[in-house]
Amino acid sequence: MKIQFIIGLVICCATVSVAQELYVNTEPASNMAAKSLGIRAENQGYFSPDFKNRSTLELMYGINRNLMVHGSIYASDFYQPKQKFEGGSVYAKYRFYSVDSVQRHFRVAVFAKAAANRNPIPNQEIVLEGDNSGLQGGLVATQLLHKLALSGSVSYLRAFDNTDGYQPVTSNAIAYTLSSGYLLYPKTYTGYQQTNINIYAELIGKTNPGRKESYLDIAPAVQFIFNSALRVDLSYRTPLYNRMVRNTQNMYLVRLEYNLFNLFN
Amino acid sequence: MKSIKILIALLAVTITAKAQFIKAEMQVSGLTCAICAKATEKSLRTLPFISDIKPDLNRNVFVISFKPNATVNLAQMSKKVKSAGFFVNQLKATVDFDKVKIANNSFAMGGDTYRLVNNAGKDLNGLLPVTIVNKGFAPASVAKKYNAPAVGNAPGSVYYLAI
Repeated sequence: MKIQFIIGLVICCATVSVAQELYVNTEPASNMAAKSLGIRAENQGYFSPDFKNRSTLELMYGINRNLMVHGSIYASDFYQPKQKFEGGSVYAKYRFYSVDSVQRHFRVAVFAKAAANRNPIPNQEIVLEGDNSGLQGGLVATQLLHKLALSGSVSYLRAFDNTDGYQPVTSNAIAYTLSSGYLLYPKTYTGYQQTNINIYAELIGKTNPGRKESYLDIAPAVQFIFNSALRVDLSYRTPLYNRMVRNTQNMYLVRLEYNLFNLFN
Repeated sequence: MKSIKILIALLAVTITAKAQFIKAEMQVSGLTCAICAKATEKSLRTLPFISDIKPDLNRNVFVISFKPNATVNLAQMSKKVKSAGFFVNQLKATVDFDKVKIANNSFAMGGDTYRLVNNAGKDLNGLLPVTIVNKGFAPASVAKKYNAPAVGNAPGSVYYLAI
């Protein structure tokens, strides 16, 4: 009941202003422009029982209008007192369906991720962003309806043994997300130099089939875009319900992203 | 006197040969963020015949000026927008009809052929905006209405224009 209410709230509040789909905790079905490079530096962490944090360096590149790739490396002190390099992941997203008009579009993409990691695995959650070695494949659909931008995804995760011989607690998981966002400022565009402020509400869930382990988090986020190129994301995720042993509950996220357009032309 | 006439005739031929789009207004669908608009504009700016682009982000419109005497390739403009992840919803380009010769509701310009689909024999003079209705330049329903196919990148293409 509480969840339905929150989903309703997410949909309603996003109808108020101009839709935005540069989601903070999820990826939209839309891709980056071809030949554009995005560079992300990110820090995520939690404060209880101790302050622990993970840093991510991610490069994103638009190969053509339908295909984009990401490559990431991770370092954290989640599993030992000091920061250490943990592993990396590669991600590809292929947009295969687009219906566009001026104020409305619907796009669908498939995505896949592969990760290698050397951490010990005490958690029930499969996390390819720094915790587990594994594969992920899924589908994402994004709908822009006048002023509402909604995006949802479903994916399957498969964990393998981490390097150094650590075995996963769980081998299979289903992940799902629902995101909405809107433009808070500017009310009227005058140029690229204007700072944009977007706010988002995202739902992030996972369930481990056959194991009665699942959670659903809500992650509000605020985003600043400077000069139409530098993006700053701030988010905090917290569980609506939680029946899974994991690191990701009550995590903050701080991210800087810089975009370079028309490389290698 | 005769030589002056020849000179005028030659001049007229030269002007006709250099007839080209003056400017264009391009509406791009799906542009909901400033980063996307900037990426799309930067992609368009790599085309050698574009001299300037002024964005109107509230209307999802780019006002495009062309370099004088450069050959404008509309198909390449559509391709650049697509490569940025978006689609041209409407392209209105201004033609100087004093400089083109219309026969059978068609005229040639910059190596391409332009067919007027709804002119019905009216006299066209001076600077007038035309809307390209081919697939890739207009919503699918509009392209279908005029039975206007997609346009290739090579010169010698046939564009369908509504006026």
